[in-house]
Amino acid sequence: MTSIELITYVTFSYLICAVVYLLACISTEQESGFRSGALGLLIIIWCVHTFAIGLRWVESYQMGIGRAPLSNLYESLVFFSWCIGLGLILVRMKFRTDIVVLIGLPVAFIALASTSLLDPTIKPLIPALQSNWLVAHVVTCFLGYAGFAVSFVAACLYLVSRGFNSLEPYLPNQRLLDEIVYKSILAGFPMLTIGIITGAAWADYAWGSYWSWDPKETWSLITWMVYSMFLHARLARNWKGRRTAALSVVGFGAVLFTYFGVNYLPGLHSYF
Amino acid sequence: MNHPKGPILDGSMVDSRIKDEGAGKEQSVLSDIVSFFTSVRTTIVILCCLAIASILGTIIPQNINLEDLRRTASPFYFRIVVILDLHNLYRSWWFIVLLLLLTSNLLGCLLQRLPKIPKEWRGAADKGSVSFHRSDSRPIHEVKGMLTESVSKLMNKNPTVVEGGEATELVWVKHRIFLLGFPLIHIAIIVILVGGLIGLLYGFKGNIQLREGEVGNRFVLYPSGAIATLPFDIAVDSFTLTRYETGQPKEYRSDVVILKDGKEELKGPIRVNQPMTFEGISLYQANYQVVGVKHVRLSVKGVDGAEEEINIRPGESIPLPGGELQIKLASLDPGTTSRGAGVEIDVERAGKQDRVVKVFRNDSDPAKVEDAKIRFLGYEPLYATGLQIGYDPGTVFVWSGCGLLIAGFVIILFTNLSAVSIRLTQGDGRTKIRVHGRSRRDRAQFREQVEATIRESLGKSSSGA
Repeated sequence: MTSIELITYVTFSYLICAVVYLLACISTEQESGFRSGALGLLIIIWCVHTFAIGLRWVESYQMGIGRAPLSNLYESLVFFSWCIGLGLILVRMKFRTDIVVLIGLPVAFIALASTSLLDPTIKPLIPALQSNWLVAHVVTCFLGYAGFAVSFVAACLYLVSRGFNSLEPYLPNQRLLDEIVYKSILAGFPMLTIGIITGAAWADYAWGSYWSWDPKETWSLITWMVYSMFLHARLARNWKGRRTAALSVVGFGAVLFTYFGVNYLPGLHSYF
Repeated sequence: MNHPKGPILDGSMVDSRIKDEGAGKEQSVLSDIVSFFTSVRTTIVILCCLAIASILGTIIPQNINLEDLRRTASPFYFRIVVILDLHNLYRSWWFIVLLLLLTSNLLGCLLQRLPKIPKEWRGAADKGSVSFHRSDSRPIHEVKGMLTESVSKLMNKNPTVVEGGEATELVWVKHRIFLLGFPLIHIAIIVILVGGLIGLLYGFKGNIQLREGEVGNRFVLYPSGAIATLPFDIAVDSFTLTRYETGQPKEYRSDVVILKDGKEELKGPIRVNQPMTFEGISLYQANYQVVGVKHVRLSVKGVDGAEEEINIRPGESIPLPGGELQIKLASLDPGTTSRGAGVEIDVERAGKQDRVVKVFRNDSDPAKVEDAKIRFLGYEPLYATGLQIGYDPGTVFVWSGCGLLIAGFVIILFTNLSAVSIRLTQGDGRTKIRVHGRSRRDRAQFREQVEATIRESLGKSSSGA
């Protein structure tokens, strides 16, 4: 089986896993065997997903191209959903909230499913991408994005819980959600920072300028500023709850624009 | 760092304002300025402004020709663009002012908070996670011994003991380095911003186009478009473009020699992702152009059937077998028709044009000139390579700042400051115990641990005060 086929199966497995999670959340209480089983299923799918990415790497060597599978939109979406999967598993383990996983899984599914619109073949690297910085830059950026995605899901749940009192009993405790909103950003922010730094280092090395206000660079900086506002508001000015949740949503909007929106503007990152 | 909630107003300053209105006003203006530069609220507002400005910069086209804009845009919009430098937003005066404000605000916050660090380093806790009192019937030295043993086990280190008069104080502090994390991150940002400013003031960027075989040192500055001269010469030996089998470019490579006063100083290839640096000035492969033809490869078959491959350069005349006719390149078609790339050849007899023949790569039959048969094999294009030139003395600062930034994050993420201080005093025939503790993370867990340790250590003979 090729990695491309495997990714197709993984895509639908995430959807099935979301359905299983939905059933588990509706039919059973916290800490039930059904819910643990659903988590087990997620972990298995994620492992297959990891294997598929590794397989693609191996395939590229077999084709004589030999490069990390992180260099076009197809591959970055596959990796983005992998990071989201990782984030969801970690949040489930640390905070024991199934609902965040339930809402997060369709996000991973949609990210993966949208790859069916893209060309999945393994192509050799154009000269601009032939650099060891590629892996460090892409991996750190996407781990950061995943943290922000998890924070976004928790922030949405928090806002729903605050906005609709009738739904509150079915959602996790608001304090816990607030904690997840904050902690995920705390994990994602250093990753994004390192992602920007490695990107700048690479740009300096390849183009002789660590910062050229290319739209993607600018938008990643905007994202960084939004989340640093979040952290300052939270740590120094004791913002909590609705206001920080709103900032998390705004921040994720900036992440999405950095990732997708910028492609409609010309710049160095136009191959992503 | 423990940031205060609102703008900082010194208590004494408030008092003086009540007593003396005139002097108070001056002081309150001063304190307003101080609080502006030391408030986290200011930081958030500046970050917000910078974010909005950056968004504008990605919407409004940058580095455009002002004359074009004058013709197409309304006079009002044109005036705004010119006054606010909106076409060059990231280098505009007000954007730099915002960056300077951010820098001074960071500096202000740092200066305000740094003096608190030595105290915290020694173990003082102004904001505790746990704080309680107990008293015990046993004498002070016995209690001290028991607590030292059990808390040292919890904290995994020995305490510093301060004996002062009647009180004995035991202090355990773990992961002090955590205190340096936040200042480090903010110092790092300041260093990066300073590096950026140095680059903006003293650095330059530009582009040079050189043909293969050409030597040059004059380049175009970016973004002004002015011409400048390098302190050395660049000689381009060759430019090579290699492709994958799919036709995608694999490598752009310029082989260059750096000459200083005619002497060879440095020689080597410049590729994308592999620049060359000389005297702090870096050269990067940016683009290329086909500017002509180096030579055309033809195969010529004479009447005797012997086939010969010849390379013919533009302007060069080559005799055909037999010796009466000479050929010369007239023009090259790089492959615009289905016949593929090809050339027009002037055939000359005794220096006068005799006829013109065309040969293409995909032709099945060779072109015949009397007895000679000519085939087109290929051509070698003459390239001009576009090298980007960069000089930025600020990068050292930027990379040091980035290093500090990462170090700061590592400290904050992987260390956790925790401290326990126990103060023992004698009073009413009992030993009084005051426990303070704090942890930057997992506070509830830490509180439980400290409480349980003290409780178990002293047993039932002590009581909560």
